[in-house]
Amino acid sequence: MPQPATANTSQNQPLVNIQHVSYTHWNQTEPTLRDVCLQIQSGTLNVLVGPSGSGKSTLCDLFNGVIPHLYGGKLEGDVWIGSENTRGVKVKDLSREVGRVFQDPETMFATLQVDDEIAFGAENLRFQVEAIQQAVEELLLQTDLHTRRNHLVWNLSGGQIQKLGLASVLVMRPRLIVLDEPTSNLDPGATHSVHQMLLALRDEGMTVLLVTRELDEFLAEADQLLVMEAGRILAAGPPRQVLRDHGAYMIDSLGVWVPETSTIGIALHEELPLDGDIPITVDETCDLLSGFEFSPLSVDTNLGNVSSNHRKSGIQSADRPLVVSENLRYVYPGGAEALCGISLQIDPSEWLMIVGRNGAGKSTLARLLVGLARPSGGTLTLFDRPAARWKIQALANHIALVFQNPEHQFLTDSVADEIKYSLLAHGVADGAETERRTAEMLGMLDLKEVAADHPFSLSAGLKRRLGVATMLAGEPQILLVDEPTYGQDRQMTHTLMTLMREIRARGVAVVMITHDMRLVQEYGERVIVMSEGAILYDGATPGLFERDAVLEAANLRRTILHELINNLRRKGIALPEDLRNSGDFVELLRGYKLGQEV
Amino acid sequence: MAETSYSLQYIERDSPLHRAYPLVKLGWVFLVAAGLFLYREPLSGAIMLLLVLLTAVGVARVPPSMVIRSSKLIFGVGILLMFFHFFADPGEPVYHVGPLTITDGGLYEGPIFFFRLSVVVLASFVLIWTTDIRDLMVSLTKAGIPYRYAFAVFLALRFLPLVQREVDAVKAAHAIRGRANRSSLVHRFKLWQRYMFTVLINGLRKAEATATAIECRGFGAYPDRTYVKTVTFHASSLWLPLLFILVTAALLYFERLL
Repeated sequence: MPQPATANTSQNQPLVNIQHVSYTHWNQTEPTLRDVCLQIQSGTLNVLVGPSGSGKSTLCDLFNGVIPHLYGGKLEGDVWIGSENTRGVKVKDLSREVGRVFQDPETMFATLQVDDEIAFGAENLRFQVEAIQQAVEELLLQTDLHTRRNHLVWNLSGGQIQKLGLASVLVMRPRLIVLDEPTSNLDPGATHSVHQMLLALRDEGMTVLLVTRELDEFLAEADQLLVMEAGRILAAGPPRQVLRDHGAYMIDSLGVWVPETSTIGIALHEELPLDGDIPITVDETCDLLSGFEFSPLSVDTNLGNVSSNHRKSGIQSADRPLVVSENLRYVYPGGAEALCGISLQIDPSEWLMIVGRNGAGKSTLARLLVGLARPSGGTLTLFDRPAARWKIQALANHIALVFQNPEHQFLTDSVADEIKYSLLAHGVADGAETERRTAEMLGMLDLKEVAADHPFSLSAGLKRRLGVATMLAGEPQILLVDEPTYGQDRQMTHTLMTLMREIRARGVAVVMITHDMRLVQEYGERVIVMSEGAILYDGATPGLFERDAVLEAANLRRTILHELINNLRRKGIALPEDLRNSGDFVELLRGYKLGQEV
Repeated sequence: MAETSYSLQYIERDSPLHRAYPLVKLGWVFLVAAGLFLYREPLSGAIMLLLVLLTAVGVARVPPSMVIRSSKLIFGVGILLMFFHFFADPGEPVYHVGPLTITDGGLYEGPIFFFRLSVVVLASFVLIWTTDIRDLMVSLTKAGIPYRYAFAVFLALRFLPLVQREVDAVKAAHAIRGRANRSSLVHRFKLWQRYMFTVLINGLRKAEATATAIECRGFGAYPDRTYVKTVTFHASSLWLPLLFILVTAALLYFERLL
């Protein structure tokens, strides 16, 4: 493993020292960063969180001088990396000090093959050939990419792409690595593995700054938690301390994802006179709860108000299924098998979640369901007719797919026109009717204020809502959404999930592809788990979390909440079956708090 | 993860063409192009097309399906160009199609233009299919071209499959939106407009992000850089240009005899 370059800083001098930095983008009038002061010590792991648009990515651009050298704009204050002020050092020279892994590492790749990509940065810095070769070998092993060394970079899975991004920065032996949401599109297993790599790097003396929305038990190992709000650093310090002082505000006002264990701890600290830190790990939370005297519970009395909206498992609809597949297969033109023997059924107005490792065949299945690909074998019946007999456009009246990148679907120059286009395409020719239904859709998806805006100019959340609006205009029976909450903060995720719930209430079956196990736990009724093009599990959500073999094979992980529940059950504590989120759990605990001395 | 294959990217094979020195293959493309601008007979262009096709499929072992997939657009444009020349070039009238007249000059020049376009583009595709573009970049720097410029060529070629992927994604997304115009032609035109817009916007974003990212990875920090993998010139690579020089000379000779 390449070691970081020798530090110039003394033990007490911070590696990063940001002093009163404000920054305004060249094309904006309001500053994105406002009087930011921040220090990062050498050899520490720092986690940065904040709502979308709070300035996290802009802050990341300060460390290696991208701001101001490449992006221009107005920068006030100073950014020191060791003893160097970034104003006086070019980006390419700072690359020796600061490595940056971008949100989508594919955009940072500059070569074709995996081993070339790792070597690229070191070649630019004129390292010796032998040193580069040795570093590449070590990094290939460390990132588990050694079997893929000659593969094309765009044939890697999501997790491998992130690891390659990290390796291609590590080869330059920087003292600080900045990672901007590296795990936002990874399956839970790959996310865990990236987190473990970062911990190992910190333990080897590297300084790490991680921007993420995936706070789980990993946070317990961090040295500093930084919270941003509206361009300012709201809080910085040891994670437990920050959670104790600002946790409630982070959850309620900023919409930041914090571990479910911490959410429970914060809620209890708010309501009970508890001393000590906010728990992060499952064990810490169990310790906190040890003061409660749990007794056998009646599920109905304790959780009737919380979970009544979740249908029980083993759903069987009396209506004819909308989609039926038997032993469905799909082979890519190159010969690789993407789906091998998928048998499933989708019923009217059900809520189905599809999960699985990156590259498991989930998106390919979606393409088959909307007619963008034809089955290579087996049978696929869509709305009582074989898939082969459907034309894509006719099928679009029955099943709609919202792509992961909604921009690909936009065809006009305004939000309102996008909806009108869909209505026209689905045969609504009457002008007054088109106007009425457009207004209805704009209202339903809260898009009225941006009706005249260009679709490409919208924020990520609005683009996604517009994507849903355009596909709902045809009044489909199934709405298929691919990673609807990708890159969204807690607030926007909640808004989107509420929208899905409303859509379902209108009688539309919602099929959602996701990596977010918290969403599966909270909203899922039926879940399908895919791996290597096959279905490993098709059943009720709670049952999935009991299948270790399925979780492992699909690179999935239980949520922390589920781990906590299991842990408590192992201690003999009776808990209801249908605890879906930390809110349910806190609600349950409220039933015990009276009369309990904790 | 399933392997995705795009028609315009390096195909890993062990063939004499794959082993040829990249700069020699680049020179070969220019040689083919130069020949096509010298030929005055459509037959010469046809022979050259056949020869380049044989080189691709027979020598480089590029799957014919990939040749067809990549080339159909270019052949389509070439045919349109040919038809344009049928009507636009001066000469004696041969046929009348409504108010338009096909001339003998057009019938002669049209195929020449078709072959010029399609053969030059096909030869470029052969270069892409048989050359690891990294090797091409290294060979350019060895020839004395500053590595920043050589890398610009490399990045441009590297973007081709990514653009192709973007176009495929946009086409799929548009396909399920349905058609809002009664006229299929108007609808197709609008779709093409939108493909261009989306691909251009996203292409510019990607190009900007890549430019920033490679600078963050020390690109351009020094006037030169290290190359872990290098390429070595072997005189045996010269069979390719020599063969085509011979064929070109023979075709030009026979054209003079005609």
